[in-house]
Amino acid sequence: MKPSLCLSLACLIAVATNGCQPDSGNIGVSGLVYCVEGSPESFNPQLVTSGTTIDAISQHLYDRLLDIDAQSGEFIPALAKSWQVSPDGLSYRFILRDNVAFHHTAYFQPSRFLNAEDVVFTFNRVLLPQHPFHQTATEYPYFDSMEWRQLVAEIKAIGPMEVEFRLNKPDSSFLSTLATDFSAVLSAEYGARLLARNALMELDQLPVGTGPFLFRQYQKDVLIRYYRHQQHWRQGSNLEQLVIDIVPDSTKRIAKLLTHECDVAPIPRLAELQLLSQRKDFVVDVQTSMNVGYWAFNTQKPPLNNVKVRQALALAINKQNILQAVYFGQAEQADSLLPPTSWAYQKPAVADPYDPVRARTLLAEAGFAKGFSLDIWAMPVQRLYNPNALKMAELIQADLALIGVKAHIVSYEWNTFRRKLTLAEHDSVLIGWSADNADPDNFLRPLLSCASAVSGSNRANWCDEHFDNLLQQAVNTADLNERRAFYLQAQQYQAEQMPLVPIAHSKRFQVRSSNITGVQINPYGGINFAMAGKH
Amino acid sequence: MILHYLFRRLFLLAFVFIALTVFAFSLGYLFPGDVLGNFTGLRNISPANEMILTKQLGLEQDYLQQYLLFLQRLLHGQWALSFSSQQNVLTEMLLVMPATLELAGYALFLSLLIGIPLGIVAAVRKDKWLDKLISTLALVGFSMPIFWWALLLIMVFSLSLGWLPTSGRLGVLYEISPNTGFMLLDILLSDVSYRQQALFDAIRHMLLPAVVLATYPTTVMIRFTRDSMLDVLDQNYIKTARAKGLTRLQVLYTHGLRNALLPVTRQVGLQFSTLITLAMITEVIFSWPGIGRWLIDSIYQRNFPAIQGGVLLVSSLVILVNMLTEIMHTLFNPLARKF
Amino acid sequence: MKKLRLYYEEHNKGPLKLLWKHFAPQHFAFFGLVLLLILLALAVLTPFLTPHNPYLQNSQLLLLPPSWQDSGLVSYPLGTDDLGRDLMSRLMLGASYTFGLAILAVVGSLLVGLILGALSGMSKGVKSSIFNHLLDLALTIPSLLLAIVIVAVLGPGLLNTIWAIMLALLPQFVHGVRNAIAQQLKQDYVTAYRLDGANRRQLLFSVILPNTWEQLVLMGTMALSTAVLDIAALGFLGIGAQSPTAEWGAMIADSLDSIYLAPWTVALPGLLIFITVLAVNLVGDGLRVAMKKRREN
Repeated sequence: MKPSLCLSLACLIAVATNGCQPDSGNIGVSGLVYCVEGSPESFNPQLVTSGTTIDAISQHLYDRLLDIDAQSGEFIPALAKSWQVSPDGLSYRFILRDNVAFHHTAYFQPSRFLNAEDVVFTFNRVLLPQHPFHQTATEYPYFDSMEWRQLVAEIKAIGPMEVEFRLNKPDSSFLSTLATDFSAVLSAEYGARLLARNALMELDQLPVGTGPFLFRQYQKDVLIRYYRHQQHWRQGSNLEQLVIDIVPDSTKRIAKLLTHECDVAPIPRLAELQLLSQRKDFVVDVQTSMNVGYWAFNTQKPPLNNVKVRQALALAINKQNILQAVYFGQAEQADSLLPPTSWAYQKPAVADPYDPVRARTLLAEAGFAKGFSLDIWAMPVQRLYNPNALKMAELIQADLALIGVKAHIVSYEWNTFRRKLTLAEHDSVLIGWSADNADPDNFLRPLLSCASAVSGSNRANWCDEHFDNLLQQAVNTADLNERRAFYLQAQQYQAEQMPLVPIAHSKRFQVRSSNITGVQINPYGGINFAMAGKH
Repeated sequence: MILHYLFRRLFLLAFVFIALTVFAFSLGYLFPGDVLGNFTGLRNISPANEMILTKQLGLEQDYLQQYLLFLQRLLHGQWALSFSSQQNVLTEMLLVMPATLELAGYALFLSLLIGIPLGIVAAVRKDKWLDKLISTLALVGFSMPIFWWALLLIMVFSLSLGWLPTSGRLGVLYEISPNTGFMLLDILLSDVSYRQQALFDAIRHMLLPAVVLATYPTTVMIRFTRDSMLDVLDQNYIKTARAKGLTRLQVLYTHGLRNALLPVTRQVGLQFSTLITLAMITEVIFSWPGIGRWLIDSIYQRNFPAIQGGVLLVSSLVILVNMLTEIMHTLFNPLARKF
Repeated sequence: MKKLRLYYEEHNKGPLKLLWKHFAPQHFAFFGLVLLLILLALAVLTPFLTPHNPYLQNSQLLLLPPSWQDSGLVSYPLGTDDLGRDLMSRLMLGASYTFGLAILAVVGSLLVGLILGALSGMSKGVKSSIFNHLLDLALTIPSLLLAIVIVAVLGPGLLNTIWAIMLALLPQFVHGVRNAIAQQLKQDYVTAYRLDGANRRQLLFSVILPNTWEQLVLMGTMALSTAVLDIAALGFLGIGAQSPTAEWGAMIADSLDSIYLAPWTVALPGLLIFITVLAVNLVGDGLRVAMKKRREN
């Protein structure tokens, strides 16, 4: 018996010591691992709004006509070398860059460079119902919420490398829209190939773009693998691979960072920042970000259709508490949907309206002196704008108990959660929004307009004519001061009606191993590895 | 005689499977949500489709007919679609199953490798300090909540010492195409330049989950082997053999071991069920992409067709393994035969 | 001083006393028993003992370390969790959830198992054979799988998982009771009693059951450790007790978020589960040994 025991021990030790050798770093593949919190819903940014999906696909696979400079906030050329706006603000012309190559992949080999046809194909898909690919998606949420179809009259190629967008009315946020991650340019040739094969769905599942990385492999809830796009028009990265590792659990994500299984991770969990910033092998990048975490009431459901009830609930919660317990002090208290860095922001007269006594009076006035019971839906995932919705819900639950409202916390798995939200089954929900560009319109319209109540991003199901009017008047004018006045009015009105309670604006944190360089974080969401390297 | 025995077992197996499928079938009605959705896995069924599907599933007929149609679909591999991915549940499960089997297999192997020798040593050195040490260790391992144990090991070996990775089966930068679904096999079959490193990496990933999963079965093996060995050593034929002048080692090897290990082989089958339960928890903690994590995710997603299918497949597997070990045990052990 | 015995006297202690005589000298088992009694007292008395309200959040005292660390407070001996709730009170309350409910589950399951086992053990023929085979089958279905099914049907929650655990324990009890009865039926004194004209009911209640209860206790102890582990595991996976319930497994899952900042919030509930299960197993092993020794003498 002894020999076999020794043998087994020897085996174990051998395995253990082999396994225990610290990773030498030379693994035969040069690549970077970016750990994210969820699977993408699609590989086409036109079809999605979630920041997770955008982070995972947009900047890697695709390019846009123009980009926004992260420092100055100005537009810079990307696929369009230059552009012109007509004096009446109704026509935008873009001259395209030459020799921009599409991805060579196992499922598609392009025969030509990018031209005007591709741009027309891309944007007509959103615009025209008769476009062969229009019907493959049920909605284009970002474009729908911007009312793009009402805005754009026509998109046409003027020359092989020149495109014109004609608008129905002037819109000061139009270029911003084209610079967002949603306005990625697709390949018309690939579309035609798919049409011939009658495999329309593949356009959004097996992506082809011009971006710095090309699609290689996707396993749902496990990983996305990208290879370098050798002929990218910008000087490419020296990484052979970019792997997006899908790790929904933030505790595990941090564990993977600590063991260097992840090179870069977004970290909405602020608690560990201290810990990580003390270590030499990590760098924490901080970036102000345009986002808001909020508590939305389903304004269609009684008793939440009553303004006084909504105001009472808003007064009852202790935001300072939440900032401490949930954001660990790494966020600013929100007193409007717009973050203080926005040009349309103004500090309100009363900074912290926490007042449970007044909340009780309001409830009594609304006829709920004895309180009522309420569901709070807490999203099951961590996001920048709300790193721990369940914990926030528990805090709110305790706050509401003080004014006699019995709160019940509800949570589902993320996809189920969003589906049920869209069906408006909730009473109230803790969720948030990250802006896609610096324009204030990008906060107010997707979150509270009537159009977004239909398309689904308006979680309060709030549709108010007066509010919509203010938003409309704001985009109709190009004068910044006039726009600002309209937005201030809109914020004021929102604070009175309280369809949702803004809670916090969080900073954006990104942790990377210190041997990684050249990672660019876009303040409007999105992360770019085009210039990244590993040393 | 043996044929008769096998035939009876086979009959029992068939009976058991029928009972199981009846159970799975009834789940379609027991789960919340509408029956049609639970049986097909389709969402948002249009009224026109609803008519066709109701007809297809025979939902307007009596339960027996419905069950027979259900059975037919099962046998033809037309299982329900998963709510979350809209793919055939069976196909999905067959994709994740090898990961679980691989993990459970290594853990079982580890537990036999460590458990049996330690159990024998403890029995031979009964009431000496070595026995006490082994028995205490076994009791501690036996009482350890597995998820907590896993967290402790992760804290020490991954986070503090940085030796071992915390999750997954292989570093994500290695690209190995899943041919068999068994990672080590797939790596050996692949023709990539970094095969050796990938193999190392896979073993490093395997180590912690396998040790965690093996802990409980190992302690059971130690305790069981020790008891069984003590029983055998107490028998008269051992005393006789000793009296005839055989050395301790000879007695142990020729008379003790074989008789003591027979009940242990049966234990292996009985442990399989526990192993699967523990594997589910282990998989969740180590993000191991196996059937356990898949099932737990299904619960979070309220993915009823997946739960139905998972319960059916996993129980069948467990029962099959149990039955097989029992048959083997009977064939090897004349005393256990009660024809 | 020894009493003077005038004539020979059969001096037999009662079986219970004998059992205790063999149990008490086993130090570990005795220690386990003491632990168990403490836990039991805790499970029953917790509502009157907790120093703070286990569910009261205190935003001024988030993640307070235990009092033996520099920044700890004496009034919060084990610190607070990430919502500022007193950890010690929660851990104490956890005893009644994790351990108390486990006992209830085992007792309930044991009673049902006793009835079914007696029915099956006292009957013969095809019916009993089919029943036995079904039982063997049910024994093999993993308990977690059963819990998943029940949670899928009834929804997650502590109570629903208790049903699942009772159901999962049931087959082994029925099995055990049936075997114990079968063993008793072979005994000579049973035959003797039968020859005296006792019917099956009398046989069961006056002879067989009194002779099997120790085995039942042993089975119950073994099952108790499984039940505690299962309740905690289901709570940990989030399909059992839901937060903010102070169940030990659920507390570990809740605290995972702060494992890097406040490892004690994860370590302590786990330690308690471990100690509880260990105590149960020590007692179980001790009982087994004591029963074996008594039989040998």
